[in-house]
Amino acid sequence: MFDILRELTELDGVSGDEKAVSDYIISKIEGFCEYKTDPLGNIIAFKKGRNRSVKKLLVDAHTDEVGLIITSVTADGFLKFSAVGGIDTSVLMFRRVRIGKINGVISGKPVHLLSGDEKKKLPKADSLYIDIGASSREEALGLVRPGDRAVITGGYTEMGGRIKAKAIDDRAGCAILISLIRSESEYDFYASFTVQEEVGLRGAKAAAFTVAPDSAIALEATTAADIAGAAESQKVCRLGDGPAVSFMDRATVYDRAYYSAALESGIKCQPKAAVAGGNNSGSLHLSRGGVRTLAISVPCRYIHSPSCVADREDIENAAKLAAYMINGICSGNIK
Amino acid sequence: MDIKEILFELSRRDALGSINDAAVYAGELLSRFAEIKKLGNMSVAAAFNGKSDYTLLFDAHIDQIGMIVTDVDSEGFLTVANSGGIDIRSLPARAVTVHGKEKIPAVFCATPPHLSAGETEYSDISKIKLDTGLGEKAAEIVSVGDYVTFSAEPAELTGDTVTGRSFDDRAGAACLIELAGRFSGKDLPCNVIILLSDAEELGMRGAVTAAFELSPDEAVAVDVSFGDGPGISDEECGNLGGGAMIGISPVLDRAMSDKLINTAEENGIMYQTEVMGGRTGTNADVIAVSRGGVKTCTVSVPLRNMHTETEVLRLCDLESVCDLLEKYALSGGLADV
Repeated sequence: MFDILRELTELDGVSGDEKAVSDYIISKIEGFCEYKTDPLGNIIAFKKGRNRSVKKLLVDAHTDEVGLIITSVTADGFLKFSAVGGIDTSVLMFRRVRIGKINGVISGKPVHLLSGDEKKKLPKADSLYIDIGASSREEALGLVRPGDRAVITGGYTEMGGRIKAKAIDDRAGCAILISLIRSESEYDFYASFTVQEEVGLRGAKAAAFTVAPDSAIALEATTAADIAGAAESQKVCRLGDGPAVSFMDRATVYDRAYYSAALESGIKCQPKAAVAGGNNSGSLHLSRGGVRTLAISVPCRYIHSPSCVADREDIENAAKLAAYMINGICSGNIK
Repeated sequence: MDIKEILFELSRRDALGSINDAAVYAGELLSRFAEIKKLGNMSVAAAFNGKSDYTLLFDAHIDQIGMIVTDVDSEGFLTVANSGGIDIRSLPARAVTVHGKEKIPAVFCATPPHLSAGETEYSDISKIKLDTGLGEKAAEIVSVGDYVTFSAEPAELTGDTVTGRSFDDRAGAACLIELAGRFSGKDLPCNVIILLSDAEELGMRGAVTAAFELSPDEAVAVDVSFGDGPGISDEECGNLGGGAMIGISPVLDRAMSDKLINTAEENGIMYQTEVMGGRTGTNADVIAVSRGGVKTCTVSVPLRNMHTETEVLRLCDLESVCDLLEKYALSGGLADV
């Protein structure tokens, strides 16, 4: 699973441009399930288990990641961009980016030329430009076009029992879902690898309509704030304490019975102790006439940055908890 | 090795405080062309003897900016202080290398939105903790006083534009190593010493002692200077691709500036002038007042994003610097003036 996670994080899939990620996923699930792709680029798969399920269950992970989109090119050959999804300006400054095969950096005023006040405050994001080393608009337009996506690069590295990489949100969910599909399953279930989560939970809306499930599980990554200086009450969830299970966020009030069943599973997990953020559950639970929904999230520090940090054991436990909930819901043991 | 390879290999290695991988490597490259003299600190020098006693010194600094660990806490978070100027606004979520008992990766903490009340003020590097991911085991590997460096690998952008860390001043060092190759076996009209000096970013200390030790008659500090880019006015920078930046300043020798300009003009070498109102912020400032005084000038490579790990320069500017200094040395500098 971790080899697959590494390879997934090394692929670029900014929202609306997820094809490289989707193609990779198909190469890994081919032969282990039936699947099709839909008009938006979602992969919808059916995993046949040993037994028929009493509930139609959809397990979802999103393929896209936050990044940048090129909007125009200046006369000097610098690229203007907009953020795709939520990215803090501090994470943009002086970063290496990749636009397909083209390398670039986000250039700005060096620290020596900043006034005292400028040194303390972040610049406005719209004052930053990508520098691909082109010296004119014509030269730049020969290499990139408005609408191309850029990712802030960040290599996959192990830090003790932790993993540092870009796009752990939500390649961790994708890696878990791939491993569930590649394993034997006790019960039938549906899986969706969905596009455009970071721009408004859009792919999951279409996928949920197509599958028309009774129940759904979103496999996600969520903010861990267990960093130096954070108050205990503000940590949301902690690395190493198992996957976070949500009761409520800004997009969803979760199914209480599923939430309780997850916490009582005996598998190491923790409640997501804040009403903040949102994920594909927001689309899944409102699909058609309503869907009972659970979110299982890998705690992730510095989410939406090129250096996300997550715990290996948390990812393993998220996979175990997902398998446990699939069996429980599909067998009817979890009511 | 072409100059890009030299630059990239120097960029990949670090030199800061007690870490001297880049200096050792640079010394190995220089030793192919001349005998190496190691100076009191980690500075290295290569001397080429000429026909006269007049000695021309070309200096570039081999050290780089970085950080030093000031605290290791029980959860594996480090506090650091900066060694040299660093834009702390760009540190959150940046991956760096901690040079402890072994080299380990670490990431600067980024405060999630729900914890930052309004606009964050970035005024104190000690408030941005460094996450090793190691918990209490961090203390077994990392100690107070260990160094932290940026970690970006060098890479090519479009055409001859390249990016990487520590181009300040591996750009200058790469030029001088290239020049050592050009001087090797040549009849030179005067002695030429190539100096790769230590501790420039901590107040030009390596150049202070090395200039005393080497006692040159004339010196050029080869460093980087501000290149054009977004948000920088034309008046405060040179142009990438515009050639070697020749310094003119009250603290520099005007006859040297003029001869460097004439040398560029006569040989069709791309150059631009960099006029400064006083001190230059380079080793030229201290070499000029070494012993009884040394005629000194600056020749600089235009560089974007100085003191970041995404510094950007054009290789054609390195070629201009090499061509200019080669012709200048072959003309004997100011020996006959």
